[in-house]
Amino acid sequence: MVNKVKDILKGKIIKWEEKSSKRHYIEIDKKDLRSAAELLFRKLELRFCIATGLDNVKNMEVLYHFSDDKTGVVYSLRVFTDRDKGQIPSIADIIKGATWIEREMRELLGIEFTGAADTSRLLLDPTWPEGVYPLRKDYEYGRKEPRGEDSCRRPNIKIEELTKNGKKTKIIPIGPYHPLQEEPEFFELMVQGEKVIDLNINLGYNHRGIEKIAEGKHWDQVTFLVERICGICSCSHPYAYVNAVEDLLGLEIPLRAKYVRTVIAELERVHSHLLWLGLAGHFLGYNTVWMWAWKYRETVLDLCEQISGNRNHYAMMRIGGVRKDIFNSEIDAMKEKTASLVPIFDLFKGAVIDDPVIHARTKNIGVLSKEEAINYCVTGPTARPSGLDQDIRKIDILNGAYQLVEWDVIVCQNGDIFDKTVCRVLEMYESVKIITQCLDKLKGLKEGNIWEEVREIPPGEGIGRYEAPRGEVWHYVRSDGGNTPVRHKIRAPSYMNVLSNELAAVGGDVSDAAITLAAVDPCYCCTERMQAVENGNVKYNWEELLRLSEEKTKRLRGELR
Amino acid sequence: MKTIFYFLVFPGFLFALIVGMVASYIERKVTARVQWRVGPPILQPWYDLLKLFTKESVVPENAHLLTFLATPVLFMVSATLVAMYAGMAFFFPDAAFQGDLIVIVYLLTIPPICLILAGAASANPLASLGASREIKLVLSYELVFWMTIAVIWVKTGGELSLVNIMNKPPVMYSYSGGIASVLALFVMQAKLGRVPFDIAEAETEIMAGAYIEYSGPLLGFFKMGQYILLATLPFFISSIFWGGVNVFKYVALLVIVILVENTNPRLKVKQCLKLFWFILFPLSLVALILAVVGL
Repeated sequence: MVNKVKDILKGKIIKWEEKSSKRHYIEIDKKDLRSAAELLFRKLELRFCIATGLDNVKNMEVLYHFSDDKTGVVYSLRVFTDRDKGQIPSIADIIKGATWIEREMRELLGIEFTGAADTSRLLLDPTWPEGVYPLRKDYEYGRKEPRGEDSCRRPNIKIEELTKNGKKTKIIPIGPYHPLQEEPEFFELMVQGEKVIDLNINLGYNHRGIEKIAEGKHWDQVTFLVERICGICSCSHPYAYVNAVEDLLGLEIPLRAKYVRTVIAELERVHSHLLWLGLAGHFLGYNTVWMWAWKYRETVLDLCEQISGNRNHYAMMRIGGVRKDIFNSEIDAMKEKTASLVPIFDLFKGAVIDDPVIHARTKNIGVLSKEEAINYCVTGPTARPSGLDQDIRKIDILNGAYQLVEWDVIVCQNGDIFDKTVCRVLEMYESVKIITQCLDKLKGLKEGNIWEEVREIPPGEGIGRYEAPRGEVWHYVRSDGGNTPVRHKIRAPSYMNVLSNELAAVGGDVSDAAITLAAVDPCYCCTERMQAVENGNVKYNWEELLRLSEEKTKRLRGELR
Repeated sequence: MKTIFYFLVFPGFLFALIVGMVASYIERKVTARVQWRVGPPILQPWYDLLKLFTKESVVPENAHLLTFLATPVLFMVSATLVAMYAGMAFFFPDAAFQGDLIVIVYLLTIPPICLILAGAASANPLASLGASREIKLVLSYELVFWMTIAVIWVKTGGELSLVNIMNKPPVMYSYSGGIASVLALFVMQAKLGRVPFDIAEAETEIMAGAYIEYSGPLLGFFKMGQYILLATLPFFISSIFWGGVNVFKYVALLVIVILVENTNPRLKVKQCLKLFWFILFPLSLVALILAVVGL
């Protein structure tokens, strides 16, 4: 494949860097970008992962990352442009999945993408001043910008709008406060009667600028920071991040650490899939499935707590290994608990997959065809049901135990909601298989050797990936030898998956849209079990926090009077 | 004076409301137990009403004021009338009159109409979607409902009085009556708006549909109407098919409603229409023919 890429890009390559056998950086001129991207994406059928924009102060740099999903090799096209009024040709018309990232780079870095159809803001507030680019190096985090009169970001909810062909349509808002999706995403469904004819996706209600924050944190602190991107994927993000740094270092971690990483990451997958299954039931009005799935999810969370001390936010990953070991004496009990999950999966497989009403609600609904899945560059359990055989765990995780144990990638063919459900249910069986084997192998290894000492991060760049429950998590880091990353690009799987909704949800009923929007798996945070700890002592426990908030409510109410 | 007593106290408003609140408690408690939850205390429905009636009712700016205010009350009053007539036939047979069956069946269509009007008057896209779904829902089940009533009418030899129907041998112990009583269970589920027919409310899709703009006492009237319907419908179905009512029959019907509610996802409105018109309606036709033949 490497030779094929070299052949096909002949005459365009300015510089070819091979960082490792799986990481190639290809510098090209920006005028060749469109043709090069088209060749890689269409001819060689590489998947577009994401683009990374960097402010090098002297110029702007954009990396377009392409992944070969059969071998796990990543080819990154590197282009440069001017810092002021820099222009790069848009590739969004060739690769649909590049639409959002181009909009994002335009507003955060100030790179103009010539020929882009949609240049509206993706993440920033409409009241944000023009010409201020928060991801540039001369913008310090937290700087306040002068704002206009009407500065609070209100979801501009319209009731009616004209469609492209001039017809009046009603708008059904899903989000930002719709009980369906508790996350700050806002979908506007344009409907005629019950039929959805168009979909407008609004983002950015909760953009925290984590990429910017990461530039001000020590390498080791960033693992904790990225853990807070998502409560559900709180192992996948650090996993991908440490993979990226270890890729930069060219480091292989101890065997025991590999197994521990794999166990906790797979437990996370099981709990996440159970959570989704419950929510899917809720969206369909099947509340019993919801409650049951979440009850059995507790078993998994207990296991996570046993290993890491937390139900979510495990803090297990560190550069060079893991922070906490699994005790060999506890492994048998853990295996028993893991095995007890299998009859539960059987139960859901029977109850959900054989139910005729569920068939009626999910089969041939929200279909994402294989061609469109490729075009939108979707990942994970949104891509595999559409017949794309891609799983990062199989191909590109050096520092994990996935190559050392037996398991299969679940691929379905129809791309509808039903297949997405089946795919997730069957994946849980595979995860249990992986966990059991890893625990077995751990028993044969001596406790203790769980990390490599890492002191300095030399200059360089690294790409780390992990297959999160929702799809591929992508982290890119660049170091200049200092103690913080110069640039840390993060791409969560939903960033690619959510955009595909504009295809999958259109044409169905409002009822279909509700479950279709949910089928890419939205997240939900876990706020239970909070304690404030100071100097190792519990300062406030849950009851006291509750009491405090009640008192505050009372006080506020009094003030309002 | 007596009529006012019938309407307000027994078997009308007060009695039906209390029975409905108990039924609602049972429904919520059983659902909670099925779902591994603890469930509410027995007075929860009462607390709910109390809370609603101490809160403020917000009327949307663009709503049609009169319709918006009148429909919840009408909803409750029509439900109470059903409770009164169905109850009178059972508790005070002397006070009942010929043809109360027809009156009840007519009165049962008024609550959904109120809901449709309420949704249309709310000036909210989700409410209007809820109203349109309610229309389609009514169109789907009403035909089957009338067919099952026709089966009763044929089987009892042209009786239109509830008292006389209850005094005859139960209709359900015949082929035609058996089919019709099963169909009536479907209709009851749909009339109560429970899963799989909670299409018009569908919290996760259209956020309670027609109810979305209602709050405070106005929502309280809707709530009371729903409690009364929950008390009355199983009572009515049991009276006409199972030859009268007792606690066991009533609880059995309630349990059926709860179990179906907890073991099914929600249907789409198109699928619901197809189910009632193309599967259940032919079945009801078969039942009617069987009844005419005498089976």
